[in-house]
Amino acid sequence: MSADRHLRASIALVALFLATGLWLEAMYGLRAEGWIDDPLRREFLRLGHAHGGLLEIVNIALAWALERLNTPAGWARKIRGAALLGAALVGLGFMLGGLLHGPTDPGPPVLAVPAGAMLLLSSLVATALVKPED
Amino acid sequence: MARAWLAPTLLFGPALVWSLAAGLGLAWTASDEPAWADLERHGDPVAGSSSCRGCHPAQWRSWHDSWHRTMTQQPARGHLAAAERALIGPGGATGQAGVLAPFAGEQLDYGGFRATMDRGDDGAPRVLVQRLDDAGESVVGPPVLDVAVTLTVGSHRYQQYVAELGRGDPAGLGTQPVGATPELWRLPVAWHRAEQRWIHMNGAFVEPEGEPGSLPDYERHLSRWNDNCIFCHNTEPVPGRGADTPGFRTRVGELGIACEACHGPATAHLERHLGNPLRRLLASATPGTDGSIANPSTLGPARESEICGRCHGQRIARDIAKVMRDGDGFVAGDQLADISRPIFADSTIEGAEGLDHGRPFAARFWPDGTPRLSAYEYQGLLLSPCWDPVGDDGLGCGHCHDMHGATPDGQPRAGRTGEGACVGCHSPDTLGGAARAGGHGGHAALRDHERSVDCVDCHMPRVTYGLLEGMVSHRITSPDPAALLGRADQPDACTQCHVDRSRAWAAASMPALGLRGSPVDPSAARPEEALASRVVLDLLGGDPIQRNLAAHALARPDATGSIEARMAWIAEGLEDEYPSVRWFAWRGLRSLVEQLDPETGSDTTWLPSVNQSGKASASGREALARAENSWLPSVDQSTNASASGREALLEALAQFDYLGPIDARVEVITRVRALVGPAPLAEHPDLHDRLTSDRWGLAIWIGE
Repeated sequence: MSADRHLRASIALVALFLATGLWLEAMYGLRAEGWIDDPLRREFLRLGHAHGGLLEIVNIALAWALERLNTPAGWARKIRGAALLGAALVGLGFMLGGLLHGPTDPGPPVLAVPAGAMLLLSSLVATALVKPED
Repeated sequence: MARAWLAPTLLFGPALVWSLAAGLGLAWTASDEPAWADLERHGDPVAGSSSCRGCHPAQWRSWHDSWHRTMTQQPARGHLAAAERALIGPGGATGQAGVLAPFAGEQLDYGGFRATMDRGDDGAPRVLVQRLDDAGESVVGPPVLDVAVTLTVGSHRYQQYVAELGRGDPAGLGTQPVGATPELWRLPVAWHRAEQRWIHMNGAFVEPEGEPGSLPDYERHLSRWNDNCIFCHNTEPVPGRGADTPGFRTRVGELGIACEACHGPATAHLERHLGNPLRRLLASATPGTDGSIANPSTLGPARESEICGRCHGQRIARDIAKVMRDGDGFVAGDQLADISRPIFADSTIEGAEGLDHGRPFAARFWPDGTPRLSAYEYQGLLLSPCWDPVGDDGLGCGHCHDMHGATPDGQPRAGRTGEGACVGCHSPDTLGGAARAGGHGGHAALRDHERSVDCVDCHMPRVTYGLLEGMVSHRITSPDPAALLGRADQPDACTQCHVDRSRAWAAASMPALGLRGSPVDPSAARPEEALASRVVLDLLGGDPIQRNLAAHALARPDATGSIEARMAWIAEGLEDEYPSVRWFAWRGLRSLVEQLDPETGSDTTWLPSVNQSGKASASGREALARAENSWLPSVDQSTNASASGREALLEALAQFDYLGPIDARVEVITRVRALVGPAPLAEHPDLHDRLTSDRWGLAIWIGE
């Protein structure tokens, strides 16, 4: 993934996850059924909104860091892909898990959250450790 | 080559491994038969409500806020220092979890005995009962009871107290049989929450006063907890009384009505879901198919209602010896009929064929079979036309009640009170008389200050007595006063609100409102109904439950008739020989007096020229009523209202103790009568005396 595409995609996803905040706020204002009366769903949609937005901002920082640290192109391309996918999986995993939840727990899509977290964590660790000469 | 794989392996490898493991885990769990199969849970131990809290916090909270939880409690342990005890005033709260009463030295004199409620040296609540001398002023002789409270039962209406009396120790050795648990007994006094006072249990049950000074009468309501109270006040109760072992081996899964009373034992459920988190994630894909627990909301109306009917429908076990030994073994979702049969008016039990003409339970029901005591709600449902005895399409308890709703009192389902309970199935537009003013039944509010009469008011009238309250009937019926014309043994829905009317008036009003009912035969009307309203006649000459409910009806905020007239009528109940009737009359009269305008001491809301129900066609029925009930105007003018009279009445009533000595009661009644005007039928003393003397033949004894 190119640096430009990573930056643009990260900014677009920040916008997307911020937009979900408007949606959640509207549901609160309208006292929407299935939101007001469903604490589990509310909690996981909020988690998705917050994590998705913040982790895409981390991606923007990562895009800047990869340029600043002169990370080799081969590593940087894969780090960008993993970080972007990871942040999206965390946000979407929380949100879909909340939308499709059972009586006590979120739905199976929440299993995407650990996968996303591992991708993002690996990306950050790699960014920190990989040197220009590697 | 190796370096080419390094980056993707390090970056994507962990996530890929996790995803594969999670996917395989989901697939294995989804296809794993033991993870989904129905589990045999009969005999499983109870896990306890605390184990439910982690996964079901909202449901746990709503249960925790309910009266079910506090049905049986163990007083919190802890030493109260003498200084702390001294701070607890007569009306003060102890702060002791599970105990509503102060136990700060309060005294209750009743039936020739004095009960003193205080605390032992260790701070434990204690009840001391001593005999009173003939003057009723000093205690004499050794205590007849001196016990520490072990358990509390109830907390909504009144709280009863349970203690170990040593009665399971006939030899007096101070020991229980080897391996046995102590016998616990419900004590004769209880704490009435609404009035914040102590009462003798005789004040709550429908039984006449005992002989003053008679210990058997005073201890009439001592009841063994191990094989009585335990059943409907605890989760998975086991009395543990076997034929081959002496004493009791009593145990309960959890004190009070907890989660597993309605969902069944949860140990298998916990093992299934705590052992495999993926099973919990997949629950969203297959709601209601978890065979490790019962969810009443996914059961059909019959199975779901049987869970409630286990306690809210008095019943007779099919194998009493087994139930006394091992408990009933019922698990939510079972067919209740397999282990017990509900008690109806014509139910019999072995050995009681000769009692009460072979119908030992008949006094608990109205002559048409409608339950008239609380804890028979399930029977009321079974007798309702909305119940489906064949299929599973009828009404169930869960239609109107929600155990996890926001309102602990009555636990109504949101939107299912009043009209909301019925309009889902019965559209108001299609019911008889819907097009007329006031809608179906003609009782919609036509004036701003009026409350609209709703479905429940007429179809579930308050003709049930229980726990010192008048409660709605759970047998859903259509009012038909004409069917009861000429009878005085059962209340009808109409005159429970129209307390100033006769049953003949109610019967004649039905066709005028466009409502179906039995044919009206005016000649069948009882002659005394020309002299007093149906409810007043019930208060004078009904049986004790009729009198309780009549006094309750006269004080209802939406009852018709002027407050002054109702005050004069209801005061009659203060003289009753049943404490429960006196309680209703006293509370009702106080409520009516409080409704009088403090400035003028009169009822400023009643409009005597217009029927209180405010119907468009009231004038015709009003004329009919006045023609039939010549007593109406004279009663309405019977009082001489004044602000000072209101205050004097409140003062007199504050001194009335419905459980107090008769001399003191007579003194207050004399003052009250002088203030509220003549008693009903004062102009017809012969009829008054006949009604009040005939009711001795209607005495009933309903303890448990």
